Amino acid sequence: MADDMKEKYEYPFEMPTEDMVAMKDGGVDDRPAGVPSSYARGESVSWTPESISEIHALSRLGRYQIRGFNSFNHNLPTFDDLTFVPATMTRLPLEGYREKCDTKTILGGGSGLVENPLELDIPIYIASMSFGALSANAKAALGYGASKVGTLTCTGEGGMLEDERRASKTLVYQMTPSRYMLDLSHLRMADAIELVVGQGAKPGTGGLLLGMKVSERVAGMRSLPMGVDQRSTVRHPDFLGADDMQVKIEELREATEYKVPIFLKMGATRPRYDVAVAAKAGVDVIVVDGAEGGTGASPEFLLNHTGIPTMTAIRAAREALDDCGMSGKVSLVAAGGIRTGTDAAKCLALGADAVMVGTGSLIAMGCNSPRYFESYEALGTEPGKCHHCHTGLCPVGITTQEPELEERIDVPAAAERVARYLTAMTMEMTLLAKACGKSSVHNLEIEDLRALSMEASAFTGVKMAGIDRAFTW
Amino acid sequence: MSEVVVTAGDSPIREVNIEIRARLAEGNSVVVRDTRSRHNLGVGLPAGAKVRFEGSVGYYCGGLNDGAFIEVERNAGWSTGEAMATGEIIVNGYAGMSTGASMRGGLIHVKGDAGPRCGVAMKGGDIIVEGKIGYMSGFMAHAGRIIALSGADEACADSLWGGEVWVAGPVESLGVDSKIIEPEPEEVASVEELLAGRGLGDNSREWQKIVSAQKLWHFESRDASAWLMI
Ligand SMILES: Cc1cc2nc3c(=O)[nH]c(=O)nc-3n(C[C@H](O)[C@H](O)[C@H](O)COP(=O)(O)O)c2cc1C
Ligand code: SF4
Repeated sequence: MADDMKEKYEYPFEMPTEDMVAMKDGGVDDRPAGVPSSYARGESVSWTPESISEIHALSRLGRYQIRGFNSFNHNLPTFDDLTFVPATMTRLPLEGYREKCDTKTILGGGSGLVENPLELDIPIYIASMSFGALSANAKAALGYGASKVGTLTCTGEGGMLEDERRASKTLVYQMTPSRYMLDLSHLRMADAIELVVGQGAKPGTGGLLLGMKVSERVAGMRSLPMGVDQRSTVRHPDFLGADDMQVKIEELREATEYKVPIFLKMGATRPRYDVAVAAKAGVDVIVVDGAEGGTGASPEFLLNHTGIPTMTAIRAAREALDDCGMSGKVSLVAAGGIRTGTDAAKCLALGADAVMVGTGSLIAMGCNSPRYFESYEALGTEPGKCHHCHTGLCPVGITTQEPELEERIDVPAAAERVARYLTAMTMEMTLLAKACGKSSVHNLEIEDLRALSMEASAFTGVKMAGIDRAFTW
Repeated sequence: MSEVVVTAGDSPIREVNIEIRARLAEGNSVVVRDTRSRHNLGVGLPAGAKVRFEGSVGYYCGGLNDGAFIEVERNAGWSTGEAMATGEIIVNGYAGMSTGASMRGGLIHVKGDAGPRCGVAMKGGDIIVEGKIGYMSGFMAHAGRIIALSGADEACADSLWGGEVWVAGPVESLGVDSKIIEPEPEEVASVEELLAGRGLGDNSREWQKIVSAQKLWHFESRDASAWLMI
């Protein structure tokens, strides 16, 4: 057709040269006109430079990639999509620099069944991170730092490390499906027990610890051959569904004579239903770990492509507890991507009773700090970008079992940094609460928040800023 | 040590266990009557405790036990002796799923058959089953011995990290990453000695000793296809 047209019509002037048609007049070579700019950028929707290099990596390895840290999926909303709307005319603020704001937090006291619920001075605690994933020095520093500010740490999956039991005033013993080292004597040394059915970084999949970190001590505690790439089970060995878990919970209560609370940790997937079922099974505390949750090692695609964001999981979990009349009876802890007191305050406003921090506490101890540059370089990374916890070669001694690297943690200094980080977080929380007119951080509520993006509003039911209506379908 | 009777019936299990513990603390041994296959009977018993259950029990009987001697007159439900540290449990009838799950030490002796995943995730100790062990017995066990005198169901010793599964009689199939090896004479002697001590001596048995093939111990890219087995 086009060719026919050409034949039928003749300009009343000479055909222009191809250079003129190509807009070469007045042009420069490095910015040619008439060439689609996408050619230079190579902007395929699917085949980005990242996805191309990922396939090259998969085709070299013949297996999925494994790494530490947390999700690299940039489509997740962040806590920055929410803002506080402090008291102005309709509400009265408290004096931020003067008045008191309560931060005491009780976990596991709601059912009345437990003799010793946990009483924390602040609503933040240190997440379960195993000895094995972390060095013994890191575990001890977290324990001392948390004890100084009146909060708890949790063993993680690797059994109970004496260094941590000594350091932590309040220690939760994690009961993962692999049950490393777990017996009656250890259970009775714990201040609470946490049954794990999943975690945010890799819901539906068990723990992972690569052989470089399965040192003699780690292997001994886990009854594993030294140096194996440990992949743990995700299903518990001695129960299957929620009905059986109810019996299991009774067993744990019997074994500990109803003294300590029972926690249940889950990755956030269908919290509206999962939380209701967990509450019915009879646990005292439910920990919901969102898709942003950190890890020592995980198949990378699970980190990036499983689970739902923490902010939306909290709302669903709180609504579930409200719906089944369990709010106040069962405590709700949120985790996953919580960086600061501001993030933590947003979690409380969304409905959490407390939060736990993993990666944040590692960063406080010195993760990704600009020191020991040559060690970062040896891993092919640099301070601020490191996510190499899985290698066991942590440049700052946190996620390693190599004695010479572990020595890089000065336990007293790291403990003090953890204590100051938790204190600073708490101060941020109380200042926000007081600005919102609250004399306890636990009085923060969803009305104290507004959403800055439609996604955040749709995910949480928080009203859109200004228009004061939640985004609805 | 005098023997005292505790009746389970339909009393709350917490009260039953409190009474068992109280009677034991007074230096008695305990017989529990009217057990009604209740769950969580005799959980977390201390060293030296001696308890006999007349009848059948439910889940977790003798779970988290720390050196007690427990006897079940008839059958036991799931996870008998779960995570026990030391001690001894005898089940005179059949045992359900996950007998001795993640136990760290001690001995469980089942006179009938044991259900699936017997000795799952166990970390030490011995389990003797006079009958047959169910499918996937020894799944991801770390250490210890499972000794079955009348064969094993499918996927026996699946994904063992360590430990040993000894089977006299037919093994319906082996699980992933496990293999049968020729036992050393002193190992056979050790197993037979344990059995003889329990009145089960029989030197004519033909043992199949199953251990980890260790192919899944490491993520090796050149062995990636091995991982597709699981
Ligand atoms: C180094 C490291 C080790 C971890 N080990 C465990 C573990 O043993 N068991 C577990 O349930 N979660 C483990 N987690 C997950 C944390 O308990 C927690 O869910 C997560 O770190 C929360 O997200 P955040 O890191 O963004 O605070 C680990 C996390 C990290 C960073
Ligand atoms: S600095 Fe250490 S703890 Fe931090 S990301 Fe790197 S390896 Fe992990």
